[in-house]
This record gives sequence, structure tokens and C-alpha cells, in this order.
Amino acid sequence: MDAGYDVKKSEVHGMAQRGGSVTSHVRFGEKVASPIIPEGEADILFCSEKLEVLRWLAYCNETTKLIINNIEIYPPLVNLGEMEYPKNIEKAINSKFKNNYFIEATKLAKEAGDARAANVVMLGVTSKFLPIDEEIWMRNILARLPKKIHELNKIAFKKGREVV
Amino acid sequence: MDKDYRILMGNEAIGRGILEGGAKMATSYPGTPASEILSSVAKFSIEENVSCHIEWSINEKVAYEVALTNSYSGKRSAVSMKQVGLNVAMDPFMSSAYIGVKGGFVLISADDPGPYSSQTEQDSRFLAMFAKVPVFDPTTPTEAKEMVINAFDFSEKYEIPVMVRPTNRICHARQKVPCYDIPQRVEEANFEKNPPRWAATPRFRYQLHKELNKKIHEISKEITYTPFNSGYLLSNSKEAIVASGAAFSHIYDILEDIDLLDKIPLYQIKMPFPINNTEMRRLISKYNRILVCEETYPVIEMQMANLKKVRGRRSGDIPSEGELTPDILYSSLRKFLRLPKTKKRKTPPRTKEKRPSLCPGCPHRASFFGIRKALPKGIYTSDIGCYTLGMNMGVVDTVLCMGAAITQATGFYHSYKNSNQDPPPIVATIGDSTFYHMGPAGLTNAVFYDAKFVLVIMDNSTTAMTGNQPTPETGIYPDGTKGKSISLEELIKGCGVKWIKEIDPYQLPEFIKTVKEAHNYCRSPKGGVAVIISKHPCLVDKRSEKKWPKYLVEIDDECTGCKFCIEKFECPALIFDEKNEKVKIDYNICTGCGICAEVCPTEHIHIKKEL
Repeated sequence: MDAGYDVKKSEVHGMAQRGGSVTSHVRFGEKVASPIIPEGEADILFCSEKLEVLRWLAYCNETTKLIINNIEIYPPLVNLGEMEYPKNIEKAINSKFKNNYFIEATKLAKEAGDARAANVVMLGVTSKFLPIDEEIWMRNILARLPKKIHELNKIAFKKGREVV
Repeated sequence: MDKDYRILMGNEAIGRGILEGGAKMATSYPGTPASEILSSVAKFSIEENVSCHIEWSINEKVAYEVALTNSYSGKRSAVSMKQVGLNVAMDPFMSSAYIGVKGGFVLISADDPGPYSSQTEQDSRFLAMFAKVPVFDPTTPTEAKEMVINAFDFSEKYEIPVMVRPTNRICHARQKVPCYDIPQRVEEANFEKNPPRWAATPRFRYQLHKELNKKIHEISKEITYTPFNSGYLLSNSKEAIVASGAAFSHIYDILEDIDLLDKIPLYQIKMPFPINNTEMRRLISKYNRILVCEETYPVIEMQMANLKKVRGRRSGDIPSEGELTPDILYSSLRKFLRLPKTKKRKTPPRTKEKRPSLCPGCPHRASFFGIRKALPKGIYTSDIGCYTLGMNMGVVDTVLCMGAAITQATGFYHSYKNSNQDPPPIVATIGDSTFYHMGPAGLTNAVFYDAKFVLVIMDNSTTAMTGNQPTPETGIYPDGTKGKSISLEELIKGCGVKWIKEIDPYQLPEFIKTVKEAHNYCRSPKGGVAVIISKHPCLVDKRSEKKWPKYLVEIDDECTGCKFCIEKFECPALIFDEKNEKVKIDYNICTGCGICAEVCPTEHIHIKKEL
């Protein structure tokens, strides 16, 4: 919005806090009416966990950029042993899609000072692929964070920009 | 009037609209997708220092009546709820349409096509039609806000309640929304007595009904809300699309994508009831075929009574259930316009949805485990809230609607007893907020008709599932200030219950003993309903004072890998280590409640020390 685009965002609430899957769609352009991305039309798929990428592939096409935090968090059905955590996700994705970025975001965030900044690392990566100035990203991220963690998040964001 | 732009969620925009529209009272009961509306009213009223009475009412019926009466005094008021909440408020809703209002009165009923977090996909617009009140159907957060403000004017002009019906995709979408000043004026309450109207007997109701029909007829001709063409009237297409709500936005973008926006006339229906009949007749005569896209029931479609020309849900052109996503609408549109099949991109199959479960350390998990341990062969009736997830642990057999845990336990008891069968143990589970909402009536009834079951009120001192709204017991108002606390125990006593015990489910062995005691009492010759208040604060509630000990829990190497803890206790912090065939603890999410140490049948989970 700061960059002059019309933006619409949609998210699913409800079971999110109880470990259900959460998705958000963001669309921007000159004029956007609907907040939902049709299947196969996403330009970027942003996954903060590795398995999540498999849930939303239906929104991707051959040119979609897949940006994935390379970390495994076991969902309940895996814990129960009813399902296995899928192996070789990276290989499977690489065989179907060309623009894949498996990012060690949690590790990089730890290096920056706190594992919780993983998603800011991921935003750093994402920012490389969008026509929005780095300065606008930084300003908006910091505006949403308490002052004492600004430095840490600046580093995390930079780290994200540097890995791709 | 100053205007500035803010990025707002649909519900925040609606909350803002309530205040900009001059409401001096806002009431609600939390429920997804409507919950954030009232918290936004509270937020903006503090921010801009506006005096507005704001309450999380006990239930939707109460919320509706309190707000309605403010309007009798000539002041503007708004009530918001989720769609199934309107079922609870149906009684005052129907009657208020006849009696009408004084100050502008706006009802916001948020629908949940999908459904994502509701018992039904019901369409509130149908209920507006049933009650004979006008309903607005917004397509975006900005439009939702405009409509709320407009609804106050409408309501005052015609002295009728007005419904605004957003769907989840409006409530939880975000966009840039223009914001205006919030009126600061303080108005006087002025109730003008008029018993034939405010206390109308059936004799007067006929007259009121007649007046209501006249109002509805006038409203249908309102120019602001006649079907609105998106701008391309020059097209000589014989096909047209009529749409409302989120479906309109999707269709608009689809037509633009396939370069048909200037060829296929697209009409937006902002007010699905009462619909402008003259305009509808004009559309039907002008076009050969019309596709109606709306969520979730065919409200507009059924009012366009021409089965041959008007296509939609009745004709099978649009699916009869589920959300209308852009993909579903595109496929319907393609068939309707007889467009060639585009080469469908091969999209990978969808992975199984992630199953939600109770949080690590959730006190409900301890309660459920204890109930099952104490009375393994029971029938377990439950209710609406986080604890519905007790289903994963096999301790939730029924979920119907708010408050039904108690009435269904009553029903099961009498059903078995009446067949001269020995009723199995029956345990009803209900949350504290749900109990306040609808519990006391069912409980009084159960006591009076001598049903014998155990009621466990899972008291976590909050409305957890919808975002931790305060309950009457916490004594906290929506703006965070402190009020009087209403005692749960006194309320239960007042319903006639003779056996009540409060216990923390974190004291698991003691809790199990209490459940057995309660069951023995209720089935004893002089016994009746036994109530256990299972009290422990919600762990994600920021307001709760966390006063219980935290432990370092460890699993020793002798763990047999039997998975009992994972299957029967289902704590997300317990993970099965495939390599070693043993259970391990995910310390990133373990809350240190230490209850799993009581759960392990082979005693290989230990509390090492207090942290």
C-alpha cells in the first residue's frame, strides 16, 4: 500500500490457535476486487514450515516461486503415528517446480539473535522477488515491532536478502 | 469531515462504522467470524474518547434485546453476532420487525460459508426475509463500513431494524479503508410511552404487520439500493450475471481476467431483501439467461421467480453447499457462458487438512483424561468451544449447539430410564462461557425432572476459542475495566443443584476421585445432578494470573514406546521418536504442567524438578 498498490488480504481464523492450518492470501495491483487467489495463480507461496508447502501446491504453477522455511514441526497425526512426516519433501518439490527456495530461516534467525525472527528472515527473502523498495519493507516491519528488537530484526531481514 | 485511511480488517471496519454511524450502544456475544467487531468498537471508543455503552452480553438474545431497547429511547445502537447466534436471538428479532425501532438499530449477522468454524452454513439473509427486515450484503470491508453507517439512516427513516450481513471473507479480509470522524455528541435518552406499539397485543399486531409490509414495499424502491450495474450497459449480450457479497468481487476479477468485463453485464445486488421487483422484472425480460452468484442460499435467485431464465443453485449451475471460491465460480461461469475448456493446469492433489488439537498444557486435556479414566463406559455429551476437540480423546460423543451438553445428558438419561434400562454413566462437559450463555435453563430443567448425570463445567475463566473474551465470572468489561464478578457456584446452586465441587484438573488423581464420587452421588437414591467445576485458567489467556508450578519433565530410557500417552492424552509436546521407538518431549512447546507423568501407565515419565 505504501508502494502505491491496491491491496486485499484474506485469512482464515477460528481453529488457528489450536494448531489448525492457517492461510493468508495477499493480492496487490492497480485494482483488486477479490481477496482470494485462484488455484494455480499464485506468484509466491510463502511457507513458514516445510510440510505446509504440500498443502497449498494447488495454488502454484510452473513459474510460482516457493519460499519455504526448512524446518519440521510435527502435526498431531504424525505424533499419533497415524501418518508419517513426509520424507524427501525437497526432492519431490524440486522435481515438479523450478523456483524453489528452501531457507534455513530458523537457523539464520538464531544467528541474528532470536529464532522467533525466522519469519522476518523469510520476508527478507520474499522482498527480493517483489517490486517494493527495501526501505518500505524495513519501515513497515519495524513499525510493528517493539523498539528493543529492531536491531535484531534488521539483521534478520538482511540475512534473508543475502541468501538469495 | 476529516478523512484518513487505515488498513483495517472487515470486522474492524464494521466496528468503526458502528461508531461513525453514531451508535451509543454496542452489544455482542463472541463467535467466529463476528468476534472482532465488538472488540474494535471498544478499541476505537477508547482511542477517540467516545461515550458508548459496550457489552459482551450473556448470549445473543440478551445482546439483541438490550441494544434494541436503547433504540426505543431514541438512541442509535448496534448488535453483532455470528449467524448461529441469530438463531438464539430469533425471538426478539422476529417481534422487533413488527414493533419497529426509534433510534437507528443495526443488526450485524456474520455468515460462515465453508463452513470454517460453525455448525451450519445457514444464510442470515433468509432470516432477514423471514422476519421482513431489509438486509445489506457487502462485498468488501470498505463497503461493509459504508453500509453500516447507511443502515442507521435507513433504520431511523423507516423505524425498522436493518441487518448487515458480511461473510467470513469480508470479516477477515483487510484493505485500506477511509475513516471519518466519530460523532462526539451526547444524546438524551427519551422513551416515549406508547403501549399499543411497545407492548402490542395480538389485536395491534395485525396493524403492525400491515405497516411492516408497507415499509418493506417502500424500502424496495430505495434508489441507493437498486441493483447496480458495474458500468457496461452498452453490451448487447443476452446473458447477464447477478451477484452479491464476496461472490461479486470474485466474479468481477474473473471477468476482468478473461477480458469479458465489458461484454457480460454484471449486476451487484447490495440489498438482497427487499429486492426491487420492477428492476428484477426488467432484467428478466431484457436477458435470455441470468446466472445468480451469491452465498450461501439462493435468496436473490428465489426472488427472481423465473426458473427457465434464472440459473444458479436451483438449476444446479452453482453448487448448493460450500464457499464460492474463485475456482468454483470460474467453472460455473465457463459452463454458463459456454466458453471453451481452457487447458487445465495440472495441480497437485491437496494434502490432508491439519487436525487441530488442544494446546499443550490445556486444562481441558487433563479434565477429559480424568473423566475417561473415572467413567470409561460413559456417554459423553459436550458443547461448543475449544473442548469440542475432546473428540480426539474419545470423550466427546455429541455436540449440537450452545448449552445442549446439559439438555442432551438429560435426554439420554430419561431415554434409557424410560425403557427400564440401567442408564450408563453420563458426563456432560461445557465451558464456563457456554454455561453462562445457555446453561442455567437446561440445568434447572434437569434438576426439576430428576435427571441423574455428572456435569463438568470446564472453567478456564475466559471465552477461549473466539479469542479470550472475558466472562461474567472474571468481572471484566470489554474496555478492560473491572466490574462485579458473578459467582458460578451461586448460579449453579440457584438452579437447584445440591452437589457441587470445585477442583483443579491439574490435580489429576484427586480429579478422577471427584468424578467417581460425583457419579456415585448422582445415582444414589436421593441423588441428582452433580456438578464439578473443573477450574484452571486458559494458558493462552494473557489476563490469567499464572500461579501454578512449572516442572521439568523427562522421559527415561525405559520408555516402552507403547504410545499410550500420545493416543490417550494427545499432548502436542509428546512426540514419537521413530528411530528409537520411544516417546520424547518437544521442550519448545512443553508448558511444564507435568500431568503426563500421571498418565504414563508404565511410569517412565518423571517430574525432575520444579522450574
